[in-house]
Amino acid sequence: MSAPAVPQTSPDHGTLSPARVLRVAVVGLGRAGAAHAVMLATTRGCELVAVADPRAAARAGLRGMGFALPAFPRVERLLEKARPDAMFVCAAQHERARVVQAALEAGVPVLVERPMARTLKEAEELVRLAASRGVPLAVGHPLAFEPVFARAHEAVRAGALGPVLQARSAMFVSRVFGPHPRHGPGRLDPRHVAGGVVAHLASDLLFVLVHMLGAPVEVRATRNLIYGAVEDELHGMMTLTDGTEVGFDCSWSVPGYQRASTVIEIEGRDGKLLASDEALELELQRGAAGFPAGLTHVRDAEFESPARFDFGGEALWVQDAAFLRWVAGGPVPPNEAFGAFAAHVVMDALYRSAAAGGVGVKVA
Amino acid sequence: MPRTFAAPRLLLSARALDGATRATRERLLEIQARFREPESLAVTLAKAVEAGAEGVLTSPSPAVRAALAELGDPIPLCAVLPALRPQEYRMLEPGVEPLLARARHAAGAGAQLRMHWTGLLGLSMLRHGDFAARVPLLLEAEAPLLPRRGLMGVVIAAPITDAALAGGHRAFFESLPRFVRARFRAAAGFETRNPGLLLRRLREWEASPDFVVGPMNPPGLGMKPSPEETLAEMGRTRVPLVATELRAAGLVTLEQGARYALGHGAHGLAPDLAEMDEVAAELRALAAGMGAAR
Repeated sequence: MSAPAVPQTSPDHGTLSPARVLRVAVVGLGRAGAAHAVMLATTRGCELVAVADPRAAARAGLRGMGFALPAFPRVERLLEKARPDAMFVCAAQHERARVVQAALEAGVPVLVERPMARTLKEAEELVRLAASRGVPLAVGHPLAFEPVFARAHEAVRAGALGPVLQARSAMFVSRVFGPHPRHGPGRLDPRHVAGGVVAHLASDLLFVLVHMLGAPVEVRATRNLIYGAVEDELHGMMTLTDGTEVGFDCSWSVPGYQRASTVIEIEGRDGKLLASDEALELELQRGAAGFPAGLTHVRDAEFESPARFDFGGEALWVQDAAFLRWVAGGPVPPNEAFGAFAAHVVMDALYRSAAAGGVGVKVA
Repeated sequence: MPRTFAAPRLLLSARALDGATRATRERLLEIQARFREPESLAVTLAKAVEAGAEGVLTSPSPAVRAALAELGDPIPLCAVLPALRPQEYRMLEPGVEPLLARARHAAGAGAQLRMHWTGLLGLSMLRHGDFAARVPLLLEAEAPLLPRRGLMGVVIAAPITDAALAGGHRAFFESLPRFVRARFRAAAGFETRNPGLLLRRLREWEASPDFVVGPMNPPGLGMKPSPEETLAEMGRTRVPLVATELRAAGLVTLEQGARYALGHGAHGLAPDLAEMDEVAAELRALAAGMGAAR
């Protein structure tokens, strides 16, 4: 039994590994940091040499999984002692800018979890610093590396749909029904985080949209604050330069979504596209981007899965490997800082619109 | 000679009820809705055993315990621990301590006493965070969830297994099977989403669980690090693999998946509720094909 023929453009297993052995470090050992450590420990051509977290329990937790590594309470000490070739920053949002800045000033390339900083101003300063020093800076957007969404991006950018007429998107998960109420002490304090569901979750979808369709010129948004001081739901409408409207809905307060579920629906003059975590569906008037004319339905499982380790998903492994290839002299990944910053600007505009009751906000 | 237990050849996986099976959201919701009533699940479990399944692979969730309680005769259970849905697991901080704190909070006096005793034996108070010392405490805390009769195996859930695998925690994989066999008088297994790598490491470390549970199917979906390396390891390993995700998220039929897995060295099969429409009939066909029909 052979797998169905699916148009693939993902790199093969071998080329995902960096060209030389890179010494890497992880800062911030919460769930995201531990997941990066797991992925990096299983990536060829990469050696995880040190970790840092101010919490002794977090350092002990990673050591308890078997990671016998030098562990530091402060990033400055890590940079001085371990001298890594690259760093993955998963520190708390209000700490990220300081940690990333320290690494960039030491000339160490960084992949930082999204959002790259708590405020737009901090994010802008980081992007400027990375550019002025010529040091690679990328932001964690694993959704862009999911095969379905990567292929959807290629199809749209190749003009398979013709001029885009309208688009809708959504990202949902049932996070508030988890065992730890997220309104615990300080966890989602607006003074410490950029926001709620958009900043923590749906900025991933926002990045994919901006990367695929371009940045909007104006946005309008409304929000619901159900459990705390940050938004649990946000409904946005974004207007592109040609007047095309793009819908953007997200919530972590809906039942029935055990896993984060993402949908992008685009209608163009020459075709339609429906991308979700489960399948990519295209209806094209003419063949393009490796897809034939007519209806194509490709299930997620039919795409090549180049990750060499699965830890609750494979996209994180692919993203980390792509970043390391860049650090080693390979191609620039889609989630490099300039592209990620464009999405951060849109997120900031959505938040300003929502805070003002849904008025139109120009995107700088 | 350390005591070992036979690996199962045919299990019914009910991991879809935990949300841990690779299937569409619609399918998982459909399965969870279908078996929401304990009676409905109990009937299916009983029919599965009657059709040739040696037991059920699932976590002892409230729904599963309620279904088992409905039945007069015990259904052999391969219990996946910790009994945590992936959604819940994702909300906790990494490592074993948050899981332990959660389990300790829910544990009764008896379980607390056993945890204390097990902790003393393993000096676990001095090994904070260490999977090798602390996962046994976690199993003690969850022991009251296990049936008094019919426990055929304890399987460590993939999030724990794969974290320790990436960390290269040899002592954990060496010591945990010994603890499980001695404490529960049952087979010790590891669930993984990276079967090729786990089998290779177990061989290199000379660690011997009674079996490993992981994906195996013709398209190679989930056969990490790669289908080729996993198949090569299947030819070298002495640890039995019980194959899951046989239908590769619906790309092939159950029969094709089963034939492939058994033809490439899998010791046993664990088709999931989400992979079957007629559970009893499809299990019966598999059992007949394996020569395992009772």
